[in-house]
Amino acid sequence: MRPAPLLQARIAEFSYHGDDASVLRDLEVDAVPGTHMAVLGGSGSGKSTLGRLLAGWLSGGHAGRFRGSLRLGAAASAAAGDSGPIIFHGAPDDPRINASLWSEHVGYVPQDAAALLSTVGSTVAEELAFGLENRGMDRRLMHDAVLRAAEAAGLAALLERDPATLSGGELRRLAVACAAITRPGVLVLDEPLGSLDEAGAVSVSALIRGLTDSGTAVIILSQTVDELALTAAQWIVLDGGTVSARGTPGGLAGSPGLLQSGVVLPARARDGSGHVRRAAGPDPADQRRRTEQHRLTEQGHCAGTATRAALELERIAFGFPAGRRGKGPRVLADLSLAVRAGEVVAVTGPNGAGKSTLLRHFNGLLRPDRGCVRIDGADIAGIPTGKVADRVGLLFQHPRDQLFERTVLREVLFGLERKSGPEAAAKARTALAAVGLGDQLESHPHELPASRQRLLALATVLAREPKLIALDEPTVGLDRHGLEHLDEAIAAAALRGAAVVIVTHDLAYARATAHRILELREGTLREG
Amino acid sequence: MQARLNPLTALAAAAATAAITTAASSWAVSLTVVLGGAALAVRAGVAGRLAPAASVILTPFWLSLLIMHGLFFPEGRTVLAEWGAVRVTTEGLGFALDMGARTAAYVVVFLLFSFTVRVPDLVAVMSARRVPPQFGYVLASTLTLAPAISGRLTRIRHAQESRGLVVRGGPLPRLAAARLQMVPLVLSLIQEAGDRAQALDSRGFNGPMARTSYREVPDTAAQRTFRAVALLLAAAAVALRISGQWPEMQWPELQWPGGVPA
Repeated sequence: MRPAPLLQARIAEFSYHGDDASVLRDLEVDAVPGTHMAVLGGSGSGKSTLGRLLAGWLSGGHAGRFRGSLRLGAAASAAAGDSGPIIFHGAPDDPRINASLWSEHVGYVPQDAAALLSTVGSTVAEELAFGLENRGMDRRLMHDAVLRAAEAAGLAALLERDPATLSGGELRRLAVACAAITRPGVLVLDEPLGSLDEAGAVSVSALIRGLTDSGTAVIILSQTVDELALTAAQWIVLDGGTVSARGTPGGLAGSPGLLQSGVVLPARARDGSGHVRRAAGPDPADQRRRTEQHRLTEQGHCAGTATRAALELERIAFGFPAGRRGKGPRVLADLSLAVRAGEVVAVTGPNGAGKSTLLRHFNGLLRPDRGCVRIDGADIAGIPTGKVADRVGLLFQHPRDQLFERTVLREVLFGLERKSGPEAAAKARTALAAVGLGDQLESHPHELPASRQRLLALATVLAREPKLIALDEPTVGLDRHGLEHLDEAIAAAALRGAAVVIVTHDLAYARATAHRILELREGTLREG
Repeated sequence: MQARLNPLTALAAAAATAAITTAASSWAVSLTVVLGGAALAVRAGVAGRLAPAASVILTPFWLSLLIMHGLFFPEGRTVLAEWGAVRVTTEGLGFALDMGARTAAYVVVFLLFSFTVRVPDLVAVMSARRVPPQFGYVLASTLTLAPAISGRLTRIRHAQESRGLVVRGGPLPRLAAARLQMVPLVLSLIQEAGDRAQALDSRGFNGPMARTSYREVPDTAAQRTFRAVALLLAAAAVALRISGQWPEMQWPELQWPGGVPA
């Protein structure tokens, strides 16, 4: 017999204030103990809104209009002294959910896991304990609970670490453990594997499997059919805010509901993007010349001859000042690289290998301690980043770090008028159309879904038509449509003669997209 | 050494020192406190941060004291120089020195406290004393705000530089560039505050329960005694000063003819 659900959500309609269009409609979700459900959908399908609604973050009429009901399982309802569903009519005087009490039954980890942390815990142990402190738990019991949670999440060795120094995978496990430590019956996790390297993804998946085995109802929100989604008992496919397909993974694989949504399918990375390589691949003779040139460059000195390479790094070394990133070895050591116009190079490596640090040397945001960086044959030492930016476009790892304007159009226009003069507006619109944001010129960048924020950041790079495009983890958070726009943008840039360097932890994507794959390990690049 | 101090002990020591320095009203006592504070700062390894912070606060204050009291001090009798309404008097200079030294003592003592206190310890002690957790959180956030804001500003500036903003060296161009970063900074801080508030709520922060504390903050009988004695001494010093019974000490040269204005 199927156990009774711990949470039943009946959503007739939800829309945010100031926006008439509904974000969610005609949707039912039941969270059954000990099961793992995946809600799949592309960017803007309403997944994150669903997560926040289930977490009780959007109730009470202050965030938007919600018509529907939420009902906790019998045990939780009895504890709360009320056994009926909480009914919402979309009116300002709708019931408000007490997020503190609700989180004892429904835990939630948002897409940006760091946002869940209190920021006042100076160690992992204190961050874990924060939710227990707030509930007045006795200190001895709290120590036991923190130890148990840390062991389950594989954080036992990190209890005394400062949360700010954790890697992406460790941070995500900490956030999940923080939500799970009060033992809620239901856990809602938004993109739990996003931006994690393989080791990080394996560790988070193991934690989630452990929670399911211990009886928790886990709901994963994801725009990728990843290994976690494949182990779910049930899939719900969201498209345009409503269910387009529902069933078991086996039953839904290859179904039209799934194929038409923006969900990234597992085979995509291996067969999707060959056109980039085919369209712009340098011929074998070029490859030989490049290899020869690379060897000469490695032997040369900083003041050496100018070459045709769009980007040349010559034996650069870099380490963060002690005290900022701790001691540790140099992040980059004696690293050389030459990338020709029209060439697409992928740099892979695990989280924390220094890939982002490497990219920041291309436009002078970071300067090497030794060695030199040449763009189009010219050394950029002493040239301010703002000037180098005319020739180098950099897509940051976290789009939010890159977006600071009030509207999508203003965002792309920043700095473009100085470079392109009267053509700036036309170039901005063309770049936005190329990434599929041509109809959202007046939206606020921070209100876009994560996938579109990354595409907007990409448009700010494309509009400047740089000779070198450096992309830091460009695939993270993109749905299938977004990935198609990215592929087209890379192909078009390579065709017009731009050199492209992509940093990614996704080896399959690198193989499908790049002419050449290099691995960053121990501070230097090796042929992958 | 500093890390093992209970934050309340450090706070009591700082508050008592400030109160006694005020009551003593003597430039010599104030300067001794400043020197003592500086020596402790060197020993705790925070002198490098304390010195610039103290000078940013004190330099404009000292300048204004010098202008206000060094040049215009109606009670001054020993005139050293005079230009119309402007009179430089020994008493005026002495008063400026006394006020300046006393303020320096406060600033050094409280900066020393804020640079050496472990914020989580302070929050834990406050929550154990039933201070509302919101107060502790705001205090902790305030003490950690400056590095957070400077990190955010750097990220915004990097994004803008990567799109053609040229930031040249020198304070004025940097200030001009900072103007461009202010609106995005404030907007992103507001956005983050909203997100953070929901996350804190969901972790039970505004819940109805009395809060407990995971962190055990060391405290000893000796420290408790020290706190009681320090606060008693401070209270006694203030009472003596208010009642006019403070024993006057004879300091050479700069002693006031009729006692120091309180």
